[in-house]
Amino acid sequence: MSTTEIGGPSWRARLRALTPNTRRVLYAWAAAVAVIAIGSLFNPDFATWSSLRVMLVVASFIGFVAAGQMLVVLVGGIDLSIPWVLNGAAIVLTTTSLGQTGRTGLALALALGLGAVIGFANGMGVAWLGVPAVVMTLGMNGVMQGLTLGLSKGLTCASCASYAPKPLREVFVDKVFGVPAQLLLWAGVALLLTVLLTLTTFGRRVYAVGVSPRGAYLSGVSVRGVTVALYTLSGVFAAIAGIALVAYGGQPSLGLGDPYLFESIAAVVVGGVSILGGRGHYVGVVAGSLTLVAVVTFLQAQRVPEYGRSIIYGLVILAILLTYGREKSNA
Amino acid sequence: MVLTEKSEMQVMAIEASGVDRAFGGVQALRGASFAARPAEIHALAGENGAGKSTLIKVLCGVITADRGKVEIFGQQVRRVVEPAARRGLGVATAFQELSLIPDLTVAENLLLHSPPRGRLGLVRRGRLVPEAEAILHRYGVDYIDSRLTAAELSVAHRQVVELVRVLATEPRVLILDEPTAALPDKQVEWLSGHMRRLRDAGTCVIFTSHRWREIEALADRVTVMRNGTHVATRENLSEAEAVTLMSGRTFEGTYPDVTTIATGETALRVSDLRGGRLQGVSFSMRQGEILGVGGLAGQGQRDLFLTLFGAQRAAAGNLEVGGFPVTLRRPRDAIRAGLGIAYVPEDRKAEGLFLPLSIRDNIALATLARRSSGGLVSRGREAQAVASLVGQLRIGAGRSTSQAVGNLSGGNQQKVLMARWLLTDAQVLLLFDVTRGVDAATKRDIFDLIAQLAAQGKAILFYSSETEEIAHLCHRVLVLREGRVAVELDGPVRDAERIVAASLKEVPGA
Amino acid sequence: MPDRLRRLLSGPASLGYAVLTATAVTYLLVYTTNLGHLPTSFDYLSILNTTLPLVFVAIGQSLVVITGGIDLSVGGIVAFCVAVTATRVHGSGLTPFAWLLAILALGTACGAVNGVIVARARIAPILTTLATLSIFSGLALWVLPVPGGSIPSGVRMVLTNPTVPTGLIWLSLAVLGWLVLRRTRFGMRVYAVGSDETSAVAIGVPAARIKIAVYALSGLCSALAAVFYVSTTTAGDANAGGPFILTSIASVVVGGVAFSGGRGSALGAMAGAVALTLVIDVIFFAGIDPLYQSLFQGLFLVVAVLLGTGAALIARARRGAL
Repeated sequence: MSTTEIGGPSWRARLRALTPNTRRVLYAWAAAVAVIAIGSLFNPDFATWSSLRVMLVVASFIGFVAAGQMLVVLVGGIDLSIPWVLNGAAIVLTTTSLGQTGRTGLALALALGLGAVIGFANGMGVAWLGVPAVVMTLGMNGVMQGLTLGLSKGLTCASCASYAPKPLREVFVDKVFGVPAQLLLWAGVALLLTVLLTLTTFGRRVYAVGVSPRGAYLSGVSVRGVTVALYTLSGVFAAIAGIALVAYGGQPSLGLGDPYLFESIAAVVVGGVSILGGRGHYVGVVAGSLTLVAVVTFLQAQRVPEYGRSIIYGLVILAILLTYGREKSNA
Repeated sequence: MVLTEKSEMQVMAIEASGVDRAFGGVQALRGASFAARPAEIHALAGENGAGKSTLIKVLCGVITADRGKVEIFGQQVRRVVEPAARRGLGVATAFQELSLIPDLTVAENLLLHSPPRGRLGLVRRGRLVPEAEAILHRYGVDYIDSRLTAAELSVAHRQVVELVRVLATEPRVLILDEPTAALPDKQVEWLSGHMRRLRDAGTCVIFTSHRWREIEALADRVTVMRNGTHVATRENLSEAEAVTLMSGRTFEGTYPDVTTIATGETALRVSDLRGGRLQGVSFSMRQGEILGVGGLAGQGQRDLFLTLFGAQRAAAGNLEVGGFPVTLRRPRDAIRAGLGIAYVPEDRKAEGLFLPLSIRDNIALATLARRSSGGLVSRGREAQAVASLVGQLRIGAGRSTSQAVGNLSGGNQQKVLMARWLLTDAQVLLLFDVTRGVDAATKRDIFDLIAQLAAQGKAILFYSSETEEIAHLCHRVLVLREGRVAVELDGPVRDAERIVAASLKEVPGA
Repeated sequence: MPDRLRRLLSGPASLGYAVLTATAVTYLLVYTTNLGHLPTSFDYLSILNTTLPLVFVAIGQSLVVITGGIDLSVGGIVAFCVAVTATRVHGSGLTPFAWLLAILALGTACGAVNGVIVARARIAPILTTLATLSIFSGLALWVLPVPGGSIPSGVRMVLTNPTVPTGLIWLSLAVLGWLVLRRTRFGMRVYAVGSDETSAVAIGVPAARIKIAVYALSGLCSALAAVFYVSTTTAGDANAGGPFILTSIASVVVGGVAFSGGRGSALGAMAGAVALTLVIDVIFFAGIDPLYQSLFQGLFLVVAVLLGTGAALIARARRGAL
């Protein structure tokens, strides 16, 4: 960020002295600030609190899925099953609660449990059976899609027209101290993940596995255990995103999760997490999610047609990757 | 170099001058220069980490120098010239970390650049094997099946194919990086013959070797490197002179005193250990003892260390740590077993360190659970433990412990790795070639540390690719041969030749 | 001859062939038990014509995967080329065919862009193609904002004739194209780069150029797929490319191409693509609710890979025992 330049020539040295992890978070926030700054040049209202609040709410959905995606990317994996785990969890939530307040707890438990079970299965396939992550999670996405469509009869089942339970919807519509409750949830997730990854033994092991699985194994880390745990968490986060989306919108739809596959990967990478594993923080991914939403919001505000948004979106991601997403040859 | 001077002299076959090259925070070459004439065999000598391999990679164009220039037959090559272009200049290189393509067959590897082609320029796949066999035959290595993939070959055979690949280009400059490290004696002779033949035909042959015997027998001239720079180029160089030049010091007095014999309790007892190359290894070591493991390369030393650490399954055998039998299924078992076992590997990057992570995270990794409650790491206790070790081992000259380990020099990286395992309080330390690629000063620090640890009562199993180090540092030396303990020598042996002699005895075909 | 047969069966594409054979047998069984007679030539032709686009994309995808990469932008390139085909290829005589050539060049150029970014800018393939997917999809929407367009029946008769198996000719040409490619020095180098890029560079293989060419070829394959897609559906849709991303990856996986690079064959991927298409027919004739279609495709994918790794493990154990 430009403010650090005041320190004279030492800021560059200070930047280099940081671990690559910390540096990447800085880059990610710099990118977010840059996009919002450019946006407010064109449209002064762009950076107001009300506009930012809307962007943050939209970004939070990406933030939830990206949380799970980041965890598996940190160990060099990828989760392609996010779209239909998300969609499945959303439909489980409404069809089991039938919109009744009394069933909220049960429905939440079932939706989250579904995410955990699928994530666990992914992790077992990758860590114990040695199936490549792309294949395992891609197959699982198909399985979930088929089950979701089949069991809900293409979302035409009797209970499929149900809404999310009222208390849940209120959480997502209400505001606490002027802040949408959903943002508080996101902040909670961010705090939780940051603590998990930086302050716990588990977090330290995650980075070690991500940088060098062999080295981690030789240091006594249970590489398989860590991997299974991360995929399970990814499933849970996909379910959380599904719950959040359906609580926000009231009713689930088919294909609800489809956009979130590529957006989760993009948010993770724009957030400074290395796709090769072992590097990155969730604080950066928050910035990455915000950047993606800010780009789209800005283009919508400028009345750029859909095709233009898509093109520019791709170009912006490429530009960001060229700035700090290159593969370093020396590990 | 001034032009007039050059015209008086013979044109050099290949020449590098003022070459700098850094990797991350490590300066591998500083102002290195090197020149070799046509029709000579030129050895490149130096300790591990002196920059030989890096210089070779710069010479053949695989990596670019940060500064400096390279000339081939008086013709300066541009800053970035792909190896393909240098092939056109008649430069061929066999690399230490082999450059065969694992999934291609031997035939495809040999003929990758000029496969047999038929009409329409298409590769005649049916001709690949016969042509490859003709090449293998021409170089007298018919015993290699050209239909196997490179990954299926033994290390020695892979090395032979790699050598045939470069020999077959009939180069004007032939560069061989540690060509004999993986070769049995018979193939070493085979290679020497070809090197001499090419030299006599006018080729400039450059090679590196850590066996002085070979340098003495083959080289017309020797260039010595130290700390990434050129030290001397001589026609006649005795081993003693070479050692002095390479290390920049004389050997006497560089090792700590290990004459007192350890009398502690038995720390580790191994009986009839089998698995991998191990054919039944038995020994025991006491607390406070430094036990050396010697022998020629590939006699099962690595398997022994990995098995004792639980990173490789034992096929049979019993293990007692501190008097209690243990079964090791994974490294975690070894770390927790009785007195605690620690393994410090030689390949720091692949097996030990996490370069992008901080010094603190690297040191604390194996002992996280001890300084945490409810899964939360206590940063205070961790910082304290790490700081005391960083001070004790003099790691990184006062750098912050939140710096990435990748920014440290090789020697400091090795110390970080040692620190991780010291923090575990393991009483049995398995040190596998820990001084590889470490500068002389750090080596001295590490030797002192090892002696100090032994004095504190730790049992240390020590292997080094430098037999000299085993000879001087160990209370006792086990010489491994074909997966068994062949000889046990009381130490300090001092004379490395005794270990080498014991390694060679009764080896069939030697 | 048995030696050659054994090589075929133990070759990199064997998994694809095995899976295809199993699926084809299941298809025949399910079809005849349901309808009481063997499939007619009409059935075969319809399978052939619906499977052709995926076959082409799978060839391109397998080339990229053999170099150790992945191409998510196939969806975007297919969509873009579908849009251009459906809106620009009309008229009669030679004009439409000239346009078809231009579209193939367009696809190749799109692929080359991926290649340059991956090889020269050193951005991970999955990220590069994720970004260009968005760009190419945008271009598709720009050309064809709403589904529509058409294709002259003359072109259709040549590409995917509904009554004469012209598709068979194109399929054979695709197989032939692969066999020729495999027999070039370029083909050998593609495997070298995928197997161990560092070594390949060290011995002078121009890895960057090889990769650019491979991504360009993948683009060409996507363009071919687009042309055949429009020809079978007779109209265009800017969202037509999406499904090809994951199905082409699935075909490659079922076809036995290793994700670590350096191993596999486009022939296996082609077999995988046909098998994946057949699975849908099996589900249809078995009377299973088509809503469950992706469930079976997903299971199919995972089971095929597990069988592949299982077979490899057994083979290795047997070799080790000898």
